[in-house]
Amino acid sequence: MTVRQLTEIQGFSPVVLADPEREIKNVYIGDLLSWVMGKAQQDDAWITIMSNVNVLAVATLADTACVILAEGVLLDADVKLTAEQKGVNVISTDKSAYEIAKILAKANE
Amino acid sequence: MKELSLNILDIAENSVKANATLTQIILKEDADTVTLSIIDDGKGMSEEILRGVVDPFYTTRTTRKVGLGLPLLKMAAEQTGGEMKISSKQATDESKEHGTSVTATFNKNHLDFTPLGDVASTIVTLIQGHPDTDFYFEHTYLQNSVNFDSREVRQVLGPEIPLNEYEILEWISNTLEEQYKNLYKV
Repeated sequence: MTVRQLTEIQGFSPVVLADPEREIKNVYIGDLLSWVMGKAQQDDAWITIMSNVNVLAVATLADTACVILAEGVLLDADVKLTAEQKGVNVISTDKSAYEIAKILAKANE
Repeated sequence: MKELSLNILDIAENSVKANATLTQIILKEDADTVTLSIIDDGKGMSEEILRGVVDPFYTTRTTRKVGLGLPLLKMAAEQTGGEMKISSKQATDESKEHGTSVTATFNKNHLDFTPLGDVASTIVTLIQGHPDTDFYFEHTYLQNSVNFDSREVRQVLGPEIPLNEYEILEWISNTLEEQYKNLYKV
């Protein structure tokens, strides 16, 4: 599934779509940024409730396909601007990390 | 980071990379707060670099000389309602003073407070990796304290013995461990 296809699923909305055709290969869930930096893989959809600018740095370093902000978390305007400038895909949803993971697992079947 | 001791290691490594001859790591703790200071006499940073140093993209976009250490430490402090301050001075023609000082305060009763972790191991790791530079370490809790000064060890052993010999590291580790046994006894 591509990042754009994910945003077309009900309940998901694009925050920043810098590279919408990027393919999601796997999923990583975590909020402790230093931990995520070591564990998240390239092309993962990374689900988190963190929303500061460091999230974008970790997403860039780990080269994740997109950041999915769970449980209604949104980006501040300046962080959103940075995501646009650095080309980081960000999607938001009210769903929990578990619900998002279930949807992604089903889509990958 | 999972433990503040890992943040300390990261920041102190910056000090060593900045050619510090002495890096001071000071933890002051009471019932409610922890204040961490890392003070070095390294080459210091220009005002321009200093302004960008807590922006993770500033550090990742260039040659990554600084890393994510400062942005993550700042975040760890702020998520407990604390803060991080950093000041730095480069040597000039008028003044020979130079170095960088990072101070982070934490409310340790906040749910999002990152545990200190094994600070003693961090100190030993630093000495092991950088036996030719000096480290001063102090951890106080109310009236109690843990102290270590590599300059004192060097004075006793003589300058020709490197501090990263196994027996010396073992001794440093033991002396810290012994002192830590009494730190929280009030």
